[in-house]
Amino acid sequence: MLVSKNWDIDLIASQNRTVLNFLALYSFLCIVIIATVSILYYNFQKDLMLQQNRATLQEYSDHLINALRNLHINFDKERTYPRFEQFESAIYDSAYKEIFTTFDSSNIDLNKVLYHSNERIYFINQPESYYLGSKYIVVSVKDSKKWLSSVYRNIAFFSATALIFLLGVGYFLLALLLKPMKNALFLLDRFIKDTTHELNTPVSAILSNIEMIDKTNLDPKLIKKINRIDTGAKTISNIYQDLTYLTLNHQIISKDEWIDLQALLNERIEYFKTMIEVKNITVHSKLQKTLIFIDRSKCIKLIDNIFSNAIKYNKNGGTIEVILEKNSLQIIDSGIGIKKDKIDKIFGRYKRFDSSVGGFGIGLSIVAMIVKEYDLQIQIDSKEKIGTKVTISWQS
Amino acid sequence: MAKLILILFLVINLFSQNIYEQNCVSCHKDIEVSIDKYFYRYLLVYSSEKAVKEAMKEYLQNPTKEKTVMPESFIARFGIKDKTQLNDEELNEALDIYWQKYKVFGKLQ
Repeated sequence: MLVSKNWDIDLIASQNRTVLNFLALYSFLCIVIIATVSILYYNFQKDLMLQQNRATLQEYSDHLINALRNLHINFDKERTYPRFEQFESAIYDSAYKEIFTTFDSSNIDLNKVLYHSNERIYFINQPESYYLGSKYIVVSVKDSKKWLSSVYRNIAFFSATALIFLLGVGYFLLALLLKPMKNALFLLDRFIKDTTHELNTPVSAILSNIEMIDKTNLDPKLIKKINRIDTGAKTISNIYQDLTYLTLNHQIISKDEWIDLQALLNERIEYFKTMIEVKNITVHSKLQKTLIFIDRSKCIKLIDNIFSNAIKYNKNGGTIEVILEKNSLQIIDSGIGIKKDKIDKIFGRYKRFDSSVGGFGIGLSIVAMIVKEYDLQIQIDSKEKIGTKVTISWQS
Repeated sequence: MAKLILILFLVINLFSQNIYEQNCVSCHKDIEVSIDKYFYRYLLVYSSEKAVKEAMKEYLQNPTKEKTVMPESFIARFGIKDKTQLNDEELNEALDIYWQKYKVFGKLQ
């Protein structure tokens, strides 16, 4: 699978993600609260408007009832339904059957008394006597909507104010929340810088002195011991270089040049020779002559990190295959492999896929940084307990 | 001959009248209060078709002072009517005709 996620692992990115997550959740909550309050306010204002109209509508319905009473008494002579300019009306019998209406009165809820629907206000009255059989007297006026515009204006204004205020509070909370995290990361970074600085000289001294030992006349047991010291010192040296690379990353200026990868790989395999021998690993290499335009030290970091992982996570007596072709480099080990669901995450900083093996878990994060800088493709194929294949490819 | 024609005419007339006219109008036309007044009185109290018909039927089958919708002065003057002689089906039919004749639906303008 092609791993393209989690490459930008640095302090600022992870911090930004936390900030964004927090802001998203916080804004969502703010909007829910503001929306709830707005809906309550809208309903309250609507009820208020209805109550203000109630007296007028009551008066209209009394007029209508009076007119209906007269019509009921004189129904043998007069059959014109009473109409009024100020309002529309409808009458229904006790089985909710429409007796007469002056407007489109379908869908009226006769069980309510006063309500607002479809831009009209409805008032439903029940007269003491059912003149012409009308148990329900509906009086309806058009909603002037004056109240609505003022309600919308108020909601917009107060929502905006509340949102600004709540976001201000959110920003303050966020600063409070992030402070310990910032401090911890700052401390960790400073600690690494200080430690690595102090490590360099003694490790260099150990390595150069081991190199100077003439091993030809030594007892094989002693050679073994010296080799172990060499491996240990090189591991420390690797970690040191990784840490310096990470902490000073932004200050290193790349000096790109044409590098002979075949020669460089042979050199690096030689460098790891003692580590390979300690674990009884066999290295098969098929290397074509290939040139790549890259910063030398970064290329070494890239190879070292992948290669040292192939050694570190390999089993005793395992194999490593190094295949260099025109546009790709494959390093295949016979190690413990990586679980499928963890492949995505292994480029993260401080992430190790096996806690039984030492290390800071920064190696692959450095690989990811370099790969990204030079626009290379990296692919990791892995089967648990069978091995891992790391492929780096580039355009020629 | 003239007598025979008159009798024949009366018999034809009698048969051409429906159950409502035969059994209701025939008596009510002699009372000063016209028959539609009762209808609107019932409408005033019972509103819907079903409720009005049920109330009328109930009263006609078993008329009492308590059940009447007419004012006291009316009862004092005319009293309570006798129980109906019609059976359930006939009564329903008569009431249907009565309702159709005086109902408000479709009459308002």
